[in-house]
Amino acid sequence: MYGASRRAVLGGAAAAAAGLALAGCGSDGDGGDEPKDRKKGEKITLTFWSWVPGIDKPVALWNRENPEVQVEVEKVSAVDGAQYAKMHAAIKAGNPPDLGQIEYPVVPSFLIDNGLLDLTRYGIADHKDKFIGWQWQQSVFGKAVYAVPQASGPMGLFIRRDLFDRWAVEPPTTWDEYEAAAEAIRKKGAWIETFSATNGNRFAGLAWQAGARWFGTEGDTWTVSIDDEPTRKVADYWDNLVRRKLIKTIPDRQNAWYKDVQTGAMASWLGASWGDALLVGNAPKTAGKWRVVPMPQWRKGDAAYANWGGSTTAVFAKSRYPKDALAFAIWLNTDPESIKLLIENGYGTPGAKQGYTTSQLDVHKDFFGGQEYSEVFDAASKGVDTSWQWGPATDTLYQRLGDAFTAAIGDGSSFRSVLKKVQGETIGDLKEKGLKVEAG
Amino acid sequence: MRARPRRLTRTEARGARAATGFLLPFLALFLLCFIAPIGYALYQSLLKVERTGPLGLGGETTQVWAGLSNYAHALQDDRFTAGFGRVLLFGAVQIPVMIAFATALALLLEAASARWVGFFRTAFFLPYGVPGVIASILWGFLYVPGISPLVEMAHSAGWDVDFLGRGAVLWSIANIVTWQFTGYNMLVLIAQLKAIPGELYEAARIDGASAWQVARHIKLPLIRPALVLTTVFSLIGTLQLFAEPKVLKPLSNSIDSGYTPNLAAYNEAFTSNNQHIAAAEAVLLALVACVLSFGFLRLVGQRGKDGERG
Repeated sequence: MYGASRRAVLGGAAAAAAGLALAGCGSDGDGGDEPKDRKKGEKITLTFWSWVPGIDKPVALWNRENPEVQVEVEKVSAVDGAQYAKMHAAIKAGNPPDLGQIEYPVVPSFLIDNGLLDLTRYGIADHKDKFIGWQWQQSVFGKAVYAVPQASGPMGLFIRRDLFDRWAVEPPTTWDEYEAAAEAIRKKGAWIETFSATNGNRFAGLAWQAGARWFGTEGDTWTVSIDDEPTRKVADYWDNLVRRKLIKTIPDRQNAWYKDVQTGAMASWLGASWGDALLVGNAPKTAGKWRVVPMPQWRKGDAAYANWGGSTTAVFAKSRYPKDALAFAIWLNTDPESIKLLIENGYGTPGAKQGYTTSQLDVHKDFFGGQEYSEVFDAASKGVDTSWQWGPATDTLYQRLGDAFTAAIGDGSSFRSVLKKVQGETIGDLKEKGLKVEAG
Repeated sequence: MRARPRRLTRTEARGARAATGFLLPFLALFLLCFIAPIGYALYQSLLKVERTGPLGLGGETTQVWAGLSNYAHALQDDRFTAGFGRVLLFGAVQIPVMIAFATALALLLEAASARWVGFFRTAFFLPYGVPGVIASILWGFLYVPGISPLVEMAHSAGWDVDFLGRGAVLWSIANIVTWQFTGYNMLVLIAQLKAIPGELYEAARIDGASAWQVARHIKLPLIRPALVLTTVFSLIGTLQLFAEPKVLKPLSNSIDSGYTPNLAAYNEAFTSNNQHIAAAEAVLLALVACVLSFGFLRLVGQRGKDGERG
């Protein structure tokens, strides 16, 4: 404790001193940073901060084909949001990269720092049709478009087909059936799943499916509606499962969870399309036993789906060559060769409409018993509500939800009270950021 | 005695110049690495961000004077204040236990009949060489149900234990800290024990004092300064508790983002991207650490004097 915390304090002190030194250089008025057009034949280098595995491969291809516009990838850590802390610090210091990998939910938090460039000035609107509608919509605020869609994570239900068969449990198609399945599996001594209190990302997906709109804008005011009817329905549903002890409450994607997945103590996982690689990598001995089925619906026959994860390629406001940066970002996410290289390294479900086939995404077909599982996610992607919008402090929101759910599971208070609490806290957080905000 | 001011002789002047020369690098580093960051943190804690433009987008982002509003915000945040209560409870239990362990080990190893002293001293000190983060990961494996052999053994013995549960996790952290720092404190105490002159023991032996009496009436009173020192270090360390809850947080449903004040400030700065409130929280944390350490020093200082008089 003492050693580590001392280092942390020293590190903080050094960072603060650096901030002090840099504050002098980062004044807003210096004209040298104005975006400019590249002269014909001029050679430039763009910097790109990303953590996507294997991103250097498509970038290398671009560099071979575009000798005049070279892109340099700098890998950043994606642990615990470290990459965003770094990007925010760089914006503050006035020396951000030209391009950055930014997840959909955190795009607005960069906007209120004036960190991203409105790309409509550079003709991004011409490319709108190349991308899946709802993914495109994630970066649109007012008339401005701030980032190029890269990939997403439409949700689906991963199930252990062998266990479901052995226990004669039908894969659930509605949430009522899901509850019944949870009961049946519990009787066999296993669990259907876990409700991970700290996974705000997935809970947002569940609310999204139920028709919630947590954030919106009215004129120049942000609206927050976390405590709305659809979200209450979702909260009550999981509250019931937790109270009846039909579902575990351990954190997901941690050692104990992986152990349960490996041993079959947990028979399913409500995950996202990128979850295939996670299961393959962490439970290799269960190969061939998994299948993917669509996410359960609130009403039989509906086709409402949700998304968990996914990110964009954004151009930072200080980029000196925004036109070239945008051209690269579009190429990276629409060129068939580039997509092929990205898929091979497992980056999620493409944001582009064309340039690949769903079969290309079935990288782990054997693991899923030969099922063409990407079709399930592809269909889900088409059923995602496009009007969902993220607000300007999503990381804080996830933390608030995590803290409140943690407390609720501990002291037995209702999940509804969680929503009420987090709604109030989030309005406070946005006010603290100097924004106009109202309850929706 | 009052001396009349007089001019320095040439040698003295040269000496003073030389002294200044030696002091300057230290002062420069002290100012740059210590005073400047503290001053900057204080300054940041008095500002807040104001945004103009529709939705806060595209307009000016300016830092404006906030007065003490960041401090008010921090003190009204029950998560942050609860964190203080938690670390104080932690310290009230963990520090006495750890210091008692360290003292007992030091006395045992320095007893005349002790064997294998070098080996045990190193063995007890070894955990200090393990960084806090690594120690927490190691212990994390021993706490997580489904993986931990400890939990499994307890369960098969019919004891339903959950090291990461709400009531237990603070003491699971205390266990990591105690494991890590008992040996370190023991070594400080041993160093002071070694400084006790041998004549005292000799005199005690001649007077017929038992080993227990020697420990009680000679060793313990004479290592008092070392005990005070280790306690103050532990006090400060407790308030700064960070690595252990940070590492255990993802494993447990019982640690929230403001579990300790340091964790709260960290999350404020790096998750919520609100450096101004984080700075205020850091300053508050430093203030409490100051008050407690100096308060403790005063308390034991007073008692020490009383003891001498009595």
